[in-house]
Amino acid sequence: MSETDGAPSTSNRTPAAHAGLSDPATTVFSAAQLTEVRRLQSLYPDPRGALLPVLYMAQETFGWISLEVEEYVAGLFSLSPAHVHEVVTFYTLYFRERPGRHVVSVCHNLSCHLAGAPGIIAHLKRRLGVDPGETTEDGRVTLLSVECLCACEAAPMMQVDDRYELNLTPTTVDRILEGLA
Amino acid sequence: MPKLTVNGKEVEVPAGTNLIEAARSAGVEVPHYCYHPGLSIAGQCRLCMVDIEKTPRPTIACNTVAADGMVVLTETDRVRETRKSIMEFHLINHPLDCPVCDQAGECWLQIYYMKYGLYDPRMTDEKVHKPKAVPLGPHVILDAERCILCSRCVRFCDEITGTGELGIFERGDHSEIGLFPGAELDNKYSGNVVDICPVGALTDRDFRFQVRVWYLETAKSVCPGCARGCNIEVHVNRRRPHHAEGRRVARLKPRFNADVNQWWICDAGRYGFGSVDAKDRLLVPTRRDGETTSDATWDEAIAAVAAAVRRFPPDEVGVIASPRMSNEDLVALRRLLDICTIQRVAFGVPPRVPGDEDDILIRADKSPNAQGAELMGLAGDARAILGAACGRRLKCLWIFGHDLLASAWPEAEVREALDGAEMVIFTGTNSNPTSERAHWVLPAAAWVERDGTYTNFEGRVQRFRQAVEPLGQALAEWEMLGRVLAALGEAPSATRAEHWFRRLATAGPSFAGLSYQALGDTGRLVAGSVAARAPR
Amino acid sequence: MTGETILTRNFARSDSHTLRAYVETGGYQAWAKAQAMEPAAIVEEVKAANLRGLGGAGFPTGIKWSFIPKNHAGPVYLVINADEGEPGTFKDRYLLERDPHALVEGMLIAARAIRSATAYVYVRGEYVEPWRRFSAAVAEAYAAQHLGRGFDIVVHRGAGAYICGEETGLISSLEGKKGWPKLKPPFPAIKGAFGAPTIVNNVETICHVPHIITRGAAWFAALGTKTQGGTRMYSVSGRVARPGVYEAPVGITLRQLIYERAGGVTGNGRLKAVVPGGSSAAILTADEIDVTMDVDGLKNAGTMAGSAGVIVMDETVSIPEALMVVARFYAHESCGQCTPCRESTGWIYKMTRRIVEGRGRKDDLDTILDVAKRGAGTTICAFYDGAVGPYISYIEKFRGEFEALIPHA
Repeated sequence: MSETDGAPSTSNRTPAAHAGLSDPATTVFSAAQLTEVRRLQSLYPDPRGALLPVLYMAQETFGWISLEVEEYVAGLFSLSPAHVHEVVTFYTLYFRERPGRHVVSVCHNLSCHLAGAPGIIAHLKRRLGVDPGETTEDGRVTLLSVECLCACEAAPMMQVDDRYELNLTPTTVDRILEGLA
Repeated sequence: MPKLTVNGKEVEVPAGTNLIEAARSAGVEVPHYCYHPGLSIAGQCRLCMVDIEKTPRPTIACNTVAADGMVVLTETDRVRETRKSIMEFHLINHPLDCPVCDQAGECWLQIYYMKYGLYDPRMTDEKVHKPKAVPLGPHVILDAERCILCSRCVRFCDEITGTGELGIFERGDHSEIGLFPGAELDNKYSGNVVDICPVGALTDRDFRFQVRVWYLETAKSVCPGCARGCNIEVHVNRRRPHHAEGRRVARLKPRFNADVNQWWICDAGRYGFGSVDAKDRLLVPTRRDGETTSDATWDEAIAAVAAAVRRFPPDEVGVIASPRMSNEDLVALRRLLDICTIQRVAFGVPPRVPGDEDDILIRADKSPNAQGAELMGLAGDARAILGAACGRRLKCLWIFGHDLLASAWPEAEVREALDGAEMVIFTGTNSNPTSERAHWVLPAAAWVERDGTYTNFEGRVQRFRQAVEPLGQALAEWEMLGRVLAALGEAPSATRAEHWFRRLATAGPSFAGLSYQALGDTGRLVAGSVAARAPR
Repeated sequence: MTGETILTRNFARSDSHTLRAYVETGGYQAWAKAQAMEPAAIVEEVKAANLRGLGGAGFPTGIKWSFIPKNHAGPVYLVINADEGEPGTFKDRYLLERDPHALVEGMLIAARAIRSATAYVYVRGEYVEPWRRFSAAVAEAYAAQHLGRGFDIVVHRGAGAYICGEETGLISSLEGKKGWPKLKPPFPAIKGAFGAPTIVNNVETICHVPHIITRGAAWFAALGTKTQGGTRMYSVSGRVARPGVYEAPVGITLRQLIYERAGGVTGNGRLKAVVPGGSSAAILTADEIDVTMDVDGLKNAGTMAGSAGVIVMDETVSIPEALMVVARFYAHESCGQCTPCRESTGWIYKMTRRIVEGRGRKDDLDTILDVAKRGAGTTICAFYDGAVGPYISYIEKFRGEFEALIPHA
């Protein structure tokens, strides 16, 4: 991530926000991606319908949704950046900081709670040395404690990136963590 | 047109009217926060609950359209209980910092709590904390903890200005209004979000901490900032003169006029009153003789002016009137010109920078009464008057308000004209480089210091009312012109602006039939005016 | 009362998600039949079947379809709610992964009934595998020309917000906005997605439709109770021996479901309480489980069938702690749009947490009950009423357990 911030529109950011900037120069989709953006927009009577999918694309491409990405995506939709910011801050699956290489989301809702989720979370905190919401110093894992992922029949459970990991025990959790590069 | 009853009173309302407006037309107030007649329906605050006969529970009035035969009750026990509950919900995370809040005294949380709340608080847990005292732009400052998330400001920026600066971010009780990080709320109408904010979340940086609102007095007025003539209220602080460094005008607020400005005014107008209490106000008549300037009495000044218009042949006298003068001033001037048979008169002086204009309210013509001046036959070739002065064909030049040296005209030419005339008279509220070159300077009362009317671009004649006393010895132009007329032998007749307006109403077809009473608070169109399209 | 399985009949096949397996077991025959039916006849059939919405609200599906304006000229949208998120519910995940073509076929028929040419399937963002499975099925259906001939399906992923399971919150989200529920009126059938008439149906609801068309409304209605036809998929979790999805006729009792299907309480423990319809349903005590699991049976029992997510609690479970977990969920998921819900959910969570942490105050329980009751029914959508269900029922039914945690109570 570059420290430079040449975009005039971002010049008066607060220092705190500034620290979270990605390089605006690289916040651009490829021509093929722009074609995909237009295809997605064409799937909805109002192109804005494609905002969530395009934000997913942006997250996959840039790793997270920085303010630059929000502004860039706003431009693709002729929306005010504030309205894109509303959307990004409303949903939990858009990362507003760069996450670790793997995201481990442990369900802490009722069925998992009854099946020992607090113990699983405590175990993960110890093993990773971070609290939920934080990323390990080596950037390997972001730990999250999340609401029901709807796999209650296999509680306690967690989502590791795209995968659901079910019927967790401290032992299986350790094995799963070992598999994360 | 559906007919319904509200608290037993039958009213008939246009189809599509919601129950808040229907109740209003029956003289019943339904308390609300998020509803605003100029914005889309949000239904978020849940305060406007009313009972509708045959419905199982109270319903929000804002999103319910009046229907024929509807029986609406706004003060049933369960409506009152619901209101009380909703008030408690609104205040759960509110900081209750009224003693240090600028909105205190005009805060709808306070007003409705006193009217409908009055419960014992039971929220003893830590409240949610949010950003405080965040400047959003040049005029507006945010306290997100005080915000009740009614979204009026967000909808204003989306629907009225179309600029979309504001949003509600995050969710649940962490929701907060704000700008995209790094952006500013700097559109031409930003001050309106302060007006429509029902609580102390958005306050005015200009007005903040200047004076408590309960010390303010108000006068109905018209904005002199452009040809739209937005209806405003002038809020003045006479009771705490030691506050705000003695500035008397505390703020301007829009006043609803369906045909002119609806609920809004632009920032240029809202914050454009600084000249009223400025240091450069002209306070006493002055005469300049060479490099020496000395104060004079009004009697001396009037005598000098009367002598000048008597002494110079009419075609050697030029008058550059001002489209900032009221109709009353202009009709007095018209009378003077007529009895003196002065032909060289004009009012339009081109600005150096053309005025901005948009399709909301702002007009390129930055004067409030060009239409009035036009209707009184004062349109002439100002540049020709200037030229005549340069060519020494014109000996006496009377300038009302304009700073010719700041106009689009070449400065050298203006200087030559001012130097060329034997007698330059300046009448205005504030000094400027042009007034400094005049031989006689007659101090005029500012628009908030006097009564009068302006005729806006579409021919709407609207009253503005005196809010404060004139500073120093300043007089309304109609009054000083009346004194000149008296000095010229005309029997004095007008002691109030209204007297001149009556003469205007009988003088020609345009203003025929109009009177201060007929103008009311929202004005009337002059005869033959094309009622231009309503503002958006 | 085991009965015939309908929705889950192919789940045992490892290739049940493929077009081949679906067709081999009679798939797309209902669509062939429906194409010869008038749209109104399809609506009537579904009405007669007593099919009720299985996402949570339990509204009669055929009646919902009939709200689409008859002579509407513009587009009409069918939107599938696959934003499964109700705590304790996981049935739609099974359907998307194991029988996605049932949903495609049901959508074809439903779209014909409401004269819709475009459908959106809103899959919750966390459901990556279900989304892939369903997208693959859609691709197969296009290749087989079931789709693309006057009817298209767009698969749309949510991005993490429970409220998008509320049908108008879902529509807002589909429109690229925050998932703020919309004011009603107008109702979606009149003005829904992108301003057009829209029907939002749950995955499981639509998966029933092909069977109703093939085997007839009378057959389907006869499977259930007087006011609700068919079977449904009960998600059973918590302290039971065999948690999982169980398809049963809606007349099954909660006792049967727990003891005859899910193997009873874990370790033969004693039952303490059951949440019968997802976390938003009021809790039932061990004495209250002889209720039928249909919409009206549970409604008469003072709770709701909701999404049929059954969460079982035994004597080891702390009810106050369970309420704290549930209250945390509602505080986290409140969309923030309207005041009672936005402000109360956070406050009530704070109070429940204090109680569980031993810092409760004498008045807390009455305050929670009063705040919950006062806020109920005052909001834009049903989310807050869903939160009120557990707030009130947990405390009223297990008050002693709460009081034991409060010093000087």
